[in-house]
This record gives sequence, C-alpha cells and structure tokens, in this order.
Amino acid sequence: MTTRLKSPFRRGLLALSCCLLAFATMAAHAKELKFQAQLVWATNTNTEKSVDHKLVDAPVRQKLEELPLKWKNYFLIHNVHFSVPQSGSKEAVLSKKCTIRIKDIDGKNFEISLIGKDKPVLKRTQSLPKGEMLVLGGNAPNSTAWLVVLKRIE
Amino acid sequence: MTEEQQLKLQAFLDGELPEKETRETASWMARDSEATALFNELRNTRRAFKDSEPTVRLPESREFYWSKIQREIERLTPASEPVKTRSFISRLRRILVPIGAVALLVLAGLLAVEQSGIFGGPAITPDSEMTVADSKAFTYHDYANGTTLVWVSYPAER
Repeated sequence: MTTRLKSPFRRGLLALSCCLLAFATMAAHAKELKFQAQLVWATNTNTEKSVDHKLVDAPVRQKLEELPLKWKNYFLIHNVHFSVPQSGSKEAVLSKKCTIRIKDIDGKNFEISLIGKDKPVLKRTQSLPKGEMLVLGGNAPNSTAWLVVLKRIE
Repeated sequence: MTEEQQLKLQAFLDGELPEKETRETASWMARDSEATALFNELRNTRRAFKDSEPTVRLPESREFYWSKIQREIERLTPASEPVKTRSFISRLRRILVPIGAVALLVLAGLLAVEQSGIFGGPAITPDSEMTVADSKAFTYHDYANGTTLVWVSYPAER
C-alpha cells in the first residue's frame, strides 16, 4: 500500500478525490437555506388575558420594540422552521389564511411572497443575510396587528 | 595562352606567386617566347604607369590635410538623431495600458449585463424591490439592527 501511494499519479488522484469529497460536502451543506417564520399578534392587551398564547422570545421582542410599532405585547401564534432549496422555493403555512413563500434567487437575494386567503398580498425581492429579520405586518381588528417575522437562520 | 596563364604571368610580375610557382613560371618563360613577350609587355606597361603618375605635394602636413577632410565630412553629414532606447517599464506600459483598458471595458460590460439581467437572471438592485404593488404599504429599514418592516394595508382577521 505504501509503495502504491508513492507513485505521484496515485498521490495526485488521492488529493483530487479528497478535494472532490470536500467540495461535495460543502455543496451539500450549501444546498439548503434555513428560515424561521413566526406569525405574531401585536396587541396592547395584558398578558393575563392571553394565556393561550406565549410571548415571542426576547431577541425578537427586542427587535420589534426598536421598530416604530405602538403595541406593548407580541404573542406568538405560530412558529415554523423550514428550509429553502438552493435556487428553489418553499412555502410555509402560518395559519389557515396566511402563507409565506420564499424563493431563492442567488443565495443572497430572495423573493418573498405573502399570501392571504389564497391571494397574493405582497411580493418583494430583497437580500436577507443570516441573522437579519424581515417583518411584514398589517392592522387587525380592535387596534391590534398581525406580524409575520421572517428570519434567516443559516 | 590561356587566361589563367596570363594571370599567372601578371602575378609573377607583381611578386605574388609562391616560391614553387615562381620557379615553374620562370622556367616556363625561358622555354616559351610568347610568355616572355607578354611578361615584357606587362612590365613595360607597369613602368609606364608608374613613371607617368603625377606627384602632388601638399602645402600642409598629411595629418592636417586629412583632418580638414574629416571636419568637412562631419560638417556636411547631418547629425544623426540619438537612438531612442525604450526602457522595460515603458515597453511594459505600452502593453499593459491597452490590455487594462480592454479589461475595464469587459468588466463594465459584464457588470452591465448582470445588472440588466439580459441572460435571464433577475435584475437585483441594492435596495429591496416590491413587485406586488400596495399603494398604502410602507417600508422601514433599521440598518443598525438588520430589521426591515413592511406594513401593508391587508386587513387581517385573527
């Protein structure tokens, strides 16, 4: 075995195989982009009256509070983790009436579509680097609001 | 008599033949009267030329005379331009400048093509782009926190 490996051709072949394996591993990891989507209800209602919903986690709450929003509490209605294949698209259902679809354009830029009651509400193209957050929102009855918080995990 | 023999007689007269040929030519002349006659004729002609050659005496020294000729030649000859020697850097620059210009043009073209999406790719602008219009929607960017808020007029029911 040692004698065989001493041949320059065989050593080159081994190095090439290692490189190919490394590239294949990297490519496999790079194939999917992970996202987290949260449907959030923004309200001024006290926490005690909304015991059926828990509050959003602290980092999301902190970012929401830094936005020009007027609500005191943000309750998590639904939380979805999903992966978007490279150059592909994926839908995440957040409620019966709300779906979000993400299409990967070039690994950095995404086409984000919000679908409400099976009708397109918004389609937007923007970059979404890891850790950054896109918040889509609108008014809801009784001076509340709905929010879709989209975050790229990987 | 052949031409070669005539030339040999001329060389004999000028003393240009090797020793062996000199002896052979002398013995040949002793035997051949025609050769002797031609040799005499050649010698007489040479002497005649030598005697009639005019002797010119220079009024100045030989060195001064030739130095005057040299100065006159130098005066009449236009001063030749010094040969321009191009340095390595200037030659390199002559090559690199056009290559650099072409490379810049190609780069600019590639960027323009990429931005315009001619080859099927979507045109990505540095800022985000709303493709489904919502006249009442607004966008707020919080660059410090990496957060974008898009507020739409969609009336949701919880």
